[in-house]
Amino acid sequence: MQATAWEPEGVECLLDASGGLSDPAAVSGLDLRDYYKKLVAARILDLKLGRLQLPMWASSAGEEAVSVAVGSLVGTHDWIYVGNRDAAVALTRGLAMPELIRQALGHPDAEMRGRNLPGSIASTELRIAGACEPLGMSLALAVGQAHGQKLFGRGRATIVLFGEGATTSGMFHEAMVLALAHDAPVVFVCKSQLWPEGAPAEAGLLGDSVAERARGLGLWTRRCDGADVLGVHRALGSALHRAHEGSGPALVEVIVTPMHQDPPAERDPIERLRRLLDARSEWTQPFQDVVEAELHNQFDKALARLSAETRGVA
Amino acid sequence: MSVEVQSSQPTTERLATVIADLLATDDRRCLLGEDVVGGGMLGLSKVAANDPKLRGRLLGSPLTNAAHVAHAGGLALAGLWPIVVLPSSGALLEALPSLRELARQPWRTAGHRSLPVLFVAPDGPGFGLGGDAAESVESTLAHVPGLELWTVGQVEDVPAALHAAADFSQEAPGRPCSPRVLLLPRRLLLGSGPRGSTARPGHPDLPATLAARPELQRLREGADATLFAWGDALRAALAAADACAAADPAIAVTVIELARLAPLDPAPLIAAARATGKLVIAHCGPRTYGLGAELAGQFADQAILQLDAPIRRVCGESGPFAGHEEHRASPSAAAIVDAIVDVVRF
Repeated sequence: MQATAWEPEGVECLLDASGGLSDPAAVSGLDLRDYYKKLVAARILDLKLGRLQLPMWASSAGEEAVSVAVGSLVGTHDWIYVGNRDAAVALTRGLAMPELIRQALGHPDAEMRGRNLPGSIASTELRIAGACEPLGMSLALAVGQAHGQKLFGRGRATIVLFGEGATTSGMFHEAMVLALAHDAPVVFVCKSQLWPEGAPAEAGLLGDSVAERARGLGLWTRRCDGADVLGVHRALGSALHRAHEGSGPALVEVIVTPMHQDPPAERDPIERLRRLLDARSEWTQPFQDVVEAELHNQFDKALARLSAETRGVA
Repeated sequence: MSVEVQSSQPTTERLATVIADLLATDDRRCLLGEDVVGGGMLGLSKVAANDPKLRGRLLGSPLTNAAHVAHAGGLALAGLWPIVVLPSSGALLEALPSLRELARQPWRTAGHRSLPVLFVAPDGPGFGLGGDAAESVESTLAHVPGLELWTVGQVEDVPAALHAAADFSQEAPGRPCSPRVLLLPRRLLLGSGPRGSTARPGHPDLPATLAARPELQRLREGADATLFAWGDALRAALAAADACAAADPAIAVTVIELARLAPLDPAPLIAAARATGKLVIAHCGPRTYGLGAELAGQFADQAILQLDAPIRRVCGESGPFAGHEEHRASPSAAAIVDAIVDVVRF
């Protein structure tokens, strides 16, 4: 099949556009209905947060494959360094909705007292570190954290999430060099919107592969399609497994399609998995409605309580 | 006193002993820098590199502009106490974005994350390199919120200053550490100190903890004028005070060394300023926008009624300098004497 503008090149495909699973063994042991629920929750969270009209808010609809894979796969002692479009990582990890909303609103009673960067959700208990101000800074911090984990023993790793915009920075290259020099158990996860029309030409990288550049430096890499939720899960799982085993750093590039670009339905990661579940008669409209309503209710209740508390204080 | 104590030892050798001691006394400590495994810059890790028990915590690190500073911060976040040996204080400017981010991490996380990391950098004139090696970067670094900035001005104090700066034992839940910079004047690195007094924590001559190294030291007492100095300029300041004391008629000058430049606690400085009302400030680097301007501003704000003369600042000239003229980056003792005489006779 010829590559189209909506069909990223050079990616492994596990879950195809029609919801066909090429290697069922690759996801054995994964509860696909439960995984689907997490993806839907991530999408609804994005919708609800978007409606709050927060300053500097950026939607992450279309990136759920990454957030849910990261949130599901990390171990208790792993650290995650997030950016400003990764609220669903905290949700998937299990951060309580009231705290998540307090942080999103920059509320002074939030764990970080409203000092997070806009859109960045952190948690000491869940080992989620918030975003940094300078471009690419969290990559080098994550390398140091991972290096420290390695010095204390095996079995722990650090994941850092960033967009393709950071890959033109010196910090991106410096961080990869340091990760290799210290053989740090760090997994770089690049959410790339380069395909098909996410970035301006001056990004200078259109059609380029971040994964290929990282491989040129000597990193273990995978390039995935963000619409292929199970492929992303498999690649990230392998990268984390290597890191936990002491096999060194990795980079996983995920080509994500922003939903606000109104792409074809098969570019929607949630829709792809829905098609698979539907074909297996594991999806129904009432199931969908219940999953969505649950998240709506959680969010609305928490927001209402917070508003009441705030009024009470005022 | 034994003959051994009286003989002198190069500062770099004394520091190499301190670094080995620091690594030996707390296994959270690790040393980062280019070629630290092979003895490192100025041979500061030479002693540790010869100790099989310590070698594993010498982490040879490639040169980068900014990431190595952030990387050390990440190690601190993971629970280590990294000591980073930088080639020059200019390297801190190249890494300023990282330094700023590390310094605000304890604040940004509402005190949940601690940054017990120390950056040690040669600063100011001394190696004949000119360029940024003849500058004084403390004004820029003092502006970074959350960063602790220390320096040292007497050659015999250098090992104690490193010991104290590398001590993060006050770290506790709810009491996070801030990242720390220790600027080592290059001329002190080229100097020597008494052999045998470098070191072990618990040594009676040596403050082993930060608490034991005061933010400021009164090095001379005198009622006629107060002289504030730090870093590379301290030696000239002490020479000037001694010359004034030996003059006829003698001028008795209080000399105050600032060891911690940021955050600055102005109260004891203002008390010292009020005591004589005749003030001279001496420091390396240009006068304009130098830290002396901040001190003079504080004194004008809070001690103006006790001042009996204009505040004189004696500093280096404005650079850049070639290697052969880098001494101009620091004030001379003669210029400091002139300023003292000026304020006393005003």
